[in-house]
Amino acid sequence: MTLRDVDVDVDAVMADLHGRVRERLRAQLVEGGEHAFDDPSLFADVEAVLHAAASTPDAARLILPELLGDPHLWRLTTSLRYASHRGPAAAGLFMFVKRRVLMPLFRWLYEYSRDNFDRQRRTNHVLFACVQALALETALLRREVRRLAARPPATGLAQDSDAPPPSTPRG
Amino acid sequence: MKLAFVVQRYGADIAGGSEGHCRELAERLAPRHDLIVLTTCAKDYVTWENELPAGRSVEHGVTVLRFPVARQRRMKLFADLSDEVFDSGAPRERQEEWFRENGPDTPALLEHLRAHGREFDLVVFWTYRYFQSYFGLPLVADRAVLVPTAEEDAAINLDVLPDFFDKPAGYLFLTPEEQELVSSRAYRPLHPAVVAGIGLERVPIGGTPRAPLDALNIPPKYLLYLGRVDRNKGCDALVENFQEYAATRPDVTLVLAGPAKMQIPAHRQIRALGYVTDAVREALLAHAQALVVPSWYESLSIVLLEAWNSAVPALVNGRCKVLAGQVTRANGGLYYMFPAEFDEAADYLLNRPNERAALGRQGLAYVEREYRWPTVLSRVEGLFEDVRRVRTRSAPRAQTVRS
Repeated sequence: MTLRDVDVDVDAVMADLHGRVRERLRAQLVEGGEHAFDDPSLFADVEAVLHAAASTPDAARLILPELLGDPHLWRLTTSLRYASHRGPAAAGLFMFVKRRVLMPLFRWLYEYSRDNFDRQRRTNHVLFACVQALALETALLRREVRRLAARPPATGLAQDSDAPPPSTPRG
Repeated sequence: MKLAFVVQRYGADIAGGSEGHCRELAERLAPRHDLIVLTTCAKDYVTWENELPAGRSVEHGVTVLRFPVARQRRMKLFADLSDEVFDSGAPRERQEEWFRENGPDTPALLEHLRAHGREFDLVVFWTYRYFQSYFGLPLVADRAVLVPTAEEDAAINLDVLPDFFDKPAGYLFLTPEEQELVSSRAYRPLHPAVVAGIGLERVPIGGTPRAPLDALNIPPKYLLYLGRVDRNKGCDALVENFQEYAATRPDVTLVLAGPAKMQIPAHRQIRALGYVTDAVREALLAHAQALVVPSWYESLSIVLLEAWNSAVPALVNGRCKVLAGQVTRANGGLYYMFPAEFDEAADYLLNRPNERAALGRQGLAYVEREYRWPTVLSRVEGLFEDVRRVRTRSAPRAQTVRS
């Protein structure tokens, strides 16, 4: 087989590839009963909002975690801190046993749980980002609705929202 | 110029991206500058056990001064401390303790920098996350160049880093994405700086014999992963994605070439080769349909550049900004974010020979443009000159103010 010399634009290929993957997902959702996604452009809008939110970097600051207050009350803590409520001598013994005897025995279980907590923490972050994106969308829509509601009622075709005001010169 | 290169490990048989970057630059710059490498006696980046003799030696024309590591890494303590400081909210002292525990704890190297650091025009530090950079760089900040080799992992978000990233007199980055990442964690614009990467020598295209692959019974239609087979490199997700993919494509094989640090499932379309010889490695690269790089965290993927150097296209994890950026700039491959995209992108690369060849060719052209040694060295030496110029310009002013 002889290879033809072609140029390939990665951005174009990726756009095409993303389009095919999105379309397949949309078809599956419609098949599953989500008929609102019969409209491909509606699906594209929804996907764009969620995709942007889901791509939020782990380190990004978000509003919801700030509103939840003290992180100790809600954040998943994956690190293990050894502590004891007993007096200094007994505490030393108990800490030694926890650290040197129990921890090596159960380290596999601890690491398994930690991996799962890490996944849950990442999922929580993405969900916070999605809620924030949706709240932002809602706020913008509310603002737009209020702006439209405040406009004087239309009296004729000339004041159709898409038509220019009568004084606008036409080129 | 009188230069000191400071790196956690050094040697021809030391595997590691930043160590290799340091050595390649040192061997090429040593004939043109008065250069010394200050490093440790460690070979193992996990334990930092002293394995090489302390003191001065000359290796491939480079003078090397090794210092003993005071204590090996305490793995469990380090793992717990990592969990604690990456949880965020840990006080600065605990974060600084993390750099100490990460090692290699080499007080004699710091002492040497304190006593002799000002005898050099520039002191170049590799990798922000290790002891010798974090505690050594501030001792010679006015003449320090940092090669951060930063990735988008948890360590980059430590609160102590913006202060640290503000200190050096110059910065050498591996990719524009790394520059952007480190800049986003600093309080001031990071100048002077250059994105230099690493250089590659030309390799013959099209003439590599397939015999070593035939001996291993490697079929022609394969995707190649090259490097440590490790969860930290995204290999668990790759193996999982590929098993799904292979269920409906019985003619495709995934070849994993590198030491395995995780369980690899027995699957008739997955070949795990372990360590491979140079001849096998070259043949695998030359004949692969595409190289797969599934890693989430990279500051520069040298193996990706090696694939392009052999005109082989790449399929990379798009969640790693560096990899997606490299592939897009080079027009040298595709990227995926989730399994459905992996399937589509792999199909495209495996089933379209013209486009596959074009992506490989475009990758090679990118390497020619950006990653040949003369280009890389001129960028690096240009940065060194800039940093020295800025320092010598500001030094007399500082003296005037003092007097």
